[in-house]
Amino acid sequence: MSLKKFSKLFGDLDSINSTNNKIEVLKSYFLSNEPIDNSWAIYLLTGKGNKRFISGRYLKNLFSKIYEYPQWLIDTCYLKVGDSAEVITLLLKNKTTSRNKKLSNISLNELLCKTIPELSKLNEEEKNLKIKNIWETLPEDNHLIFNKILTGTFRVGVSIGLITKSISKLINIDEEIISHRLMGNFKPSIDSYEFLINKNINLEELNSKPYPFLLANNFEDKIFKHSINDFQFEWKYDGIRIQLIKRSGNVSLWTRGQELVNESFPELVEKMSHIKDDFVLDGELLIWNFKEQIAFDFSVLQKRINRKSPTRTIQIKYPINFIAYDLLEINGRDIREIKLENRRIYLEQYFLKWQTKTENNISDIFKICDLIYPKDWKEALTFKEKSRENNTEGLIIKNKSSIYTSGRKKGIWWKYKVDPMQLDAVLIYAKGGSGRRAGLYTDYSFALWKDQKLIKFASAYSGLTNIEIKELDKWIRKNTIEKFGPVRSLKPEMVFEISFEKIQISKRHKSGIAVRFPRITKWRKDKNINDADSLENAYELMKKIS
Amino acid sequence: MRTKKEDLISYKDGNLYCELADIWIDPSKPVKRALITHAHFDHFTFGCEEYFATNETSILLKERVGDNIKIKQLDYGEEFKINGINISFYPSGHILGSSQIRFIFAEEKWLISGDFKLQKDGTCKRYEIVKTDYLISECTFGLPIFKWDETNKIANDISKWVTNSPDKTSLLFCYSLGKAQRLLNEISQTNFKGNIYSHGSIYKMNNCYKELGIDIKDTMKIENKKKIDELKGSLILLPPSLSKGSYLKNFKNIQTAFASGWMSIRALRKRSGYDKGFAISDHADWDGILEVVKMSEAKNVFFHHGDSEALSKYLVDKESINVLFFEK
Repeated sequence: MSLKKFSKLFGDLDSINSTNNKIEVLKSYFLSNEPIDNSWAIYLLTGKGNKRFISGRYLKNLFSKIYEYPQWLIDTCYLKVGDSAEVITLLLKNKTTSRNKKLSNISLNELLCKTIPELSKLNEEEKNLKIKNIWETLPEDNHLIFNKILTGTFRVGVSIGLITKSISKLINIDEEIISHRLMGNFKPSIDSYEFLINKNINLEELNSKPYPFLLANNFEDKIFKHSINDFQFEWKYDGIRIQLIKRSGNVSLWTRGQELVNESFPELVEKMSHIKDDFVLDGELLIWNFKEQIAFDFSVLQKRINRKSPTRTIQIKYPINFIAYDLLEINGRDIREIKLENRRIYLEQYFLKWQTKTENNISDIFKICDLIYPKDWKEALTFKEKSRENNTEGLIIKNKSSIYTSGRKKGIWWKYKVDPMQLDAVLIYAKGGSGRRAGLYTDYSFALWKDQKLIKFASAYSGLTNIEIKELDKWIRKNTIEKFGPVRSLKPEMVFEISFEKIQISKRHKSGIAVRFPRITKWRKDKNINDADSLENAYELMKKIS
Repeated sequence: MRTKKEDLISYKDGNLYCELADIWIDPSKPVKRALITHAHFDHFTFGCEEYFATNETSILLKERVGDNIKIKQLDYGEEFKINGINISFYPSGHILGSSQIRFIFAEEKWLISGDFKLQKDGTCKRYEIVKTDYLISECTFGLPIFKWDETNKIANDISKWVTNSPDKTSLLFCYSLGKAQRLLNEISQTNFKGNIYSHGSIYKMNNCYKELGIDIKDTMKIENKKKIDELKGSLILLPPSLSKGSYLKNFKNIQTAFASGWMSIRALRKRSGYDKGFAISDHADWDGILEVVKMSEAKNVFFHHGDSEALSKYLVDKESINVLFFEK
């Protein structure tokens, strides 16, 4: 496929907001183009080709050098645009079109397999000349895609899920099957596309299909009326929900978002394949602190989630643990219609068997969840409040006599989350965002009182609505005291309710405390800065919890 | 930094003000005497004792706010005197009637650019080069990432956007005064064959332009009760204020776009919530601002309406132009 054709597809997809319309565009694109083109489109749109050949900084320096453009001016533009590839594209406009030169229509194959990889073999001068030459021979509306491929920042708002859906609709085959086919090392070729749209499903593909997930409802007070003995209690882990399938020797890890994540967690796939039985387990994947036998925070997990094929070092640095809490299928038999209390017995028995009978040790990567046994509802509440100690979010309460249905059905599972910790803090700094938030001040720092001074205690950038972000941005621009690069110090005036998950002593912070996952939960326009909390309040909170 | 005393024009309460003549330019609060550069509402406020504006601006303003205001109408280039200061209006190319305003006092010339653009626009007089000693220029798009495409390219893109989706109703959001008429004028020069509808607020301005002798394509006024099938494949011009909220429920199977200079940036386009953006503006782009600064031969330049830091630094570093800042 040519770069020109792909740029057109990109443009079309980029000017549609509705998911359904995007699917329609992709479907009709696949129908009207050659398999090889389709294969390239899928490769790039799913981000499989996202490799950084040169950095955004390098690109900006290069432009500055070639066109004698002040670096500071490019940087100022970047603050508005939020993407190096796009800034350079915009600045290149009207600079490169020379009428004498014949514009090239390079194929993606040549660009990605030859032209760009060869850049790394050149010395700096040759490389710069080559890039300049490509800029000057490409049609202007192909610059963005070229620069994005070069800097490995290709994101279109077309997720892998959207591609999966489009192909699924195109050939009328379940999304899970397409997901499975898209897994792994997808190389753009006629064969790989033909394989993707093959209407015959093979056994391995069928074997990988997950069950629909059962989801928990929010806790309702009326449950207190029931006997505590009717329920099973578990800790609510904050990891990735995973259905772990092993059928005829093959292991598949499915997330709730119908994503197959085998590649991100190869060590789990490997270990589980040693178990002799076939099964389907429902559970939570976590980064595990083996010394203390508790989970690490979700933020640690985030460092691993997006790494495809993690190195051995990463695997050791972020050790995973799969905590199973339900058994849905055993040796080909679907047991979802069996009562939970009996499924639990099966789960425990099989786990014991696997632990003792499997050749390789599996207990360093797989366990079943512990149950909690409160004697009454009052004690259940105490357990819930203690959940922070083991880095869980609260309790999951399950009806012992329930069957495993799908979706968020009432009366089966409940989540009973511990209330987040909160403090009211004053906004003191703001920093510009990047990407979609470029040009807006969206990264905020908050402070608490100490001896009539405001001391910074947390930074947060999530929790406000788009309308609030715009409103706050306007306010920030009008109430700046000083600018330091992209950061502005602000008139202390705005109070926000900040929620967080954990609070502890920290010598690294000026405030002496560190909080986990701080986020904005309310813009307290009703409060003035004297109503904000003090560091004293934060210490009290810490005492109360430990 | 300059002191207010030596400047003919200064910045007072967020507005440009000439103390010697006791006259304000596009004031945002009621004052005695107000010069109005053009008829957009963010440049006009009710309650001033007397307004001064070009003939076209006066007519447009009266159409928008009623006859109940006292306006002294002026021709482009016509000079009038207040307290010994010569004041005159020149075309700024922004919208119909829009103007730059020049002040001359004791042989010192001051020019307020007003909102301006250099690009071709069939619905208003082209920007006129006016020499000055001091220039006060707007800089809404004062970064080099802003470079406008030719207007006819944008008009063709709009035509294609509508034509390529014959099953959809295409809603194009644009300012009802100026931008809408410019788009209609340009689209009539493409081979667009479909129906075009205008929202009432735009329709009213179209008629006003026509009465002033501007060539505007005839459109139908959009009625809420229009059958949905009739709108398939047609282009509907709407003011941006209707893009959020229940008004869109009047249509089915729509695609939306916004015509604005800001749409040249992808992040802003995505954030705006419209499907598509057409980067067309009635303000000057980076090159346009630089050109005006040079052509005006001004030795001293002030900027307002926009983030002027980068532009100022560039002019000082690269073009050795003296950039001044108002004392606020």
